Amino acid sequence: MSVGKEIRIALAGNPNCGKTSLFNALTGAHQKVGNFSGVTVEKHEGYLDYKGYRIVVVDLPGIYSLTPYSPEEIVTREYLIREPPDVVVNVLEGPNLERNLILTTQLMELEVDFLVALNMIDEVEEKGIIIEIKQLQKLLGCHIIPTSAKKSIGIDSLLDHVIRVSRNDIEIRKNKLFFRPEVESSVEKITAMLTHQPELGGYNARWLAIKLLENDREVYHEVQHYPVWVKVELALQDALREAERLHDSEPEMLITEDRHAFIRGAMQECVRQPGGVKTTASDYIDMVVLNRLLGLPIFLLVVWAIFQLTFTLGSPLMGGLQFLFGIIASAIAPLLPNETLRSIVIDGIIAGVGGVLVFLPNIVLLFIGLSFLEASGYMARAAFVIDRVMHRFGLHGKSFIPMITGFGCSIPAIMATRTLKSRTDRLVTIMIIPFMSCGAKLPVYVLLTAAFFTPDVAANVMFGIYLLGIIVGLWTALILKKTVMKSDSEPFVMELPPYRWPTFTSVFFQAKVKALMYLKKAGTLILSAVIIIWAVSNYPRNGALEATLSTERVRIAGSSMAAAEKIKLKRELDLRIKSEQLEYSVAGRAGKVLEPLIRPLGFDWRIGIALVTGLAAKEVVVSTLGTIYSIGQSDGAPVELKSILRHDPSFSRATALSLMVFVLLYIPCVAAIGVMKKEVGRWRPVLLYSAYSLSVAWILSFVVYRLALLML
Amino acid sequence: MRLSELKVGDKAEVTAVKAESATRRRIMDMGLIKGTRFRVVRVAPLGDPMEISFKGLFLAMRKNEAEGILVEKQSG
Ligand SMILES: Nc1nc2c(ncn2[C@@H]2O[C@H](COP(=O)(O)OP(=O)(O)O)[C@@H](O)[C@H]2O)c(=O)[nH]1
Ligand SMILES: [Mg+2]
Repeated sequence: MSVGKEIRIALAGNPNCGKTSLFNALTGAHQKVGNFSGVTVEKHEGYLDYKGYRIVVVDLPGIYSLTPYSPEEIVTREYLIREPPDVVVNVLEGPNLERNLILTTQLMELEVDFLVALNMIDEVEEKGIIIEIKQLQKLLGCHIIPTSAKKSIGIDSLLDHVIRVSRNDIEIRKNKLFFRPEVESSVEKITAMLTHQPELGGYNARWLAIKLLENDREVYHEVQHYPVWVKVELALQDALREAERLHDSEPEMLITEDRHAFIRGAMQECVRQPGGVKTTASDYIDMVVLNRLLGLPIFLLVVWAIFQLTFTLGSPLMGGLQFLFGIIASAIAPLLPNETLRSIVIDGIIAGVGGVLVFLPNIVLLFIGLSFLEASGYMARAAFVIDRVMHRFGLHGKSFIPMITGFGCSIPAIMATRTLKSRTDRLVTIMIIPFMSCGAKLPVYVLLTAAFFTPDVAANVMFGIYLLGIIVGLWTALILKKTVMKSDSEPFVMELPPYRWPTFTSVFFQAKVKALMYLKKAGTLILSAVIIIWAVSNYPRNGALEATLSTERVRIAGSSMAAAEKIKLKRELDLRIKSEQLEYSVAGRAGKVLEPLIRPLGFDWRIGIALVTGLAAKEVVVSTLGTIYSIGQSDGAPVELKSILRHDPSFSRATALSLMVFVLLYIPCVAAIGVMKKEVGRWRPVLLYSAYSLSVAWILSFVVYRLALLML
Repeated sequence: MRLSELKVGDKAEVTAVKAESATRRRIMDMGLIKGTRFRVVRVAPLGDPMEISFKGLFLAMRKNEAEGILVEKQSG
């Protein structure tokens, strides 16, 4: 089938009005996920073919107004102004029309081609709200199509109207919103000044004038460079004086008030609720969920449940994947005759990349949980309940989600900071996430506590380590907020949306988006890191050693020992050679060079190598220790490694404690660093952060080591 | 008086929004402007953000932010 003309539409609306649900109802399977160019705000794009048209749909981030305030609002406005889609679909939350219309009035001012999807029409009917659509259409100057993204109502009608708007085949004339006379005259005066400015041709002059009167910083910067600014500035000052004189106010306030007055008028004319407003199920739920006594316990319960979902339900799946990679490795191994190639594929790629991929089920489950909480409306409540605690450390109520997520894996946690609007809040939250001890560090603690502590003490030690991470994290947040990131905390003004049962497709879609991002970012990065680390721990080869290896092999094969004995000897030989080769490699030499630096912490060169290779992924610390301490078994086999460490003279309880503290705090793994860089946008803060965490790790490990030597 | 000084259950009307400009924008974009009547619904378990309700929607804000909103308490 030939594809006809393409129509680009963008979905714009308040958070939680059902844009993503509508996006899914429209585009079904044809979806693409990425970032808006230059920023990390997610961009969802999809398409559908309808009546000979290809309709491309963009799901814009939820916004309350067109005044840029958060990165998402900036993205949305930039998108609407600089790459105007053919038709803007303004999605409204039907039961909450009054607040939703604030954005609509601003779209009217922008004079884009738009129409309204009056969404959640099912709920509107259920609540007995009556909306006079014909009259409202006249006032807003656009077509209004009742829809329900959840029940797939009105989708075809919406598409029909999209096509009509794009062909300019509309019955409803655009309407203009007029302000009170004194404001209106300033608007018109400035509009006239800006109208015949060819340089500003890209913008609608009246919209520019309104934004200037509203003190819009971006528009100021835009207009300031033109000669006409001299005149405009005077007019703005006049307007300011007038507003002061007549209303003891500012033009910005007057404009907002007039928009609201327009909306109030429209509501009175077009919307009735004969049954009156009743106490809703949402109100009853909140009486329990936000109760002074129950609020916190319920919050903790929910966090616990998400944790359980992610890690308990995830671990069998993870085990399954691990098993699968094991099978793949053993299936591939015989197909690779070349030993070097085999080593790079099996020890490098499958072990390293597989080691990261096994977390995928956890990530998907986590994000299913999180987007369920988000779409159901609980997330806002959680932020409400815990904000007091977070605020004390200079963080935002919403920072807690990424922090909790960080106990699983820093990568999705860093990605989850996107829900924070203020850039500094986001940066600070990103910087403390790696201190929330992630799942990959757990094998290290398990190994070391099992080797050096009795089981009952081991649990406490482990708990202490986690606690130390939280303390260092919060302390870091406090320092950052008091020093380099003082400014602009996000004000906590947040809607508590009504509870809604999330649609399966939108929850699933969010999880899919996150999974794809994880695969794309972490996958490519880890792959290159793993290959580098494989190379530095295998090269240069020690020729003499290899010669010894082959002569010894021949000798064993030719001796008169029992077969089992031979195999055992052979394996021991392999391991010895392996660890000597490691010592000879770049990584080994690096470990030796590092030794003086880490000696004060109780570490020798072998631990040094483990820490270096641990940068690829923290579990690697254990597998490297395994290899070096001649145990081999890259899957840990802690039983044996445990006793070897216990009897090794270079290892003591103090060393174990010091090492755990160091692993907890030192530089995050390469994948996390990469995602950090992506989200922060620049290398500098990330590198500074790495230096910081390394110093903190060194100092605290030193303190712990010395104290432990004195006390144990 | 200030919004932050109201108690749970109080009803009031906004007389002015005086907060710092970005915060003020946000507050007004959420529909809370001069003349809006609202009710204080509750305070968070730990005592900080408070929740108010107006026009069928529920808004949470820190006392810090609520200090910038001047209100007139209504009886009954
Ligand atoms: N009753 C009803 N609920 C809806 C409708 N559209 C979306 N929802 C629900 O509203 C919540 C928010 O939807 P979502 O698509 O995530 O909104 P977004 O934030 O605008 O992307 C979810 O729980 C949806 O299931 C609808 O037409 N009717
Ligand atoms: Mg959405």
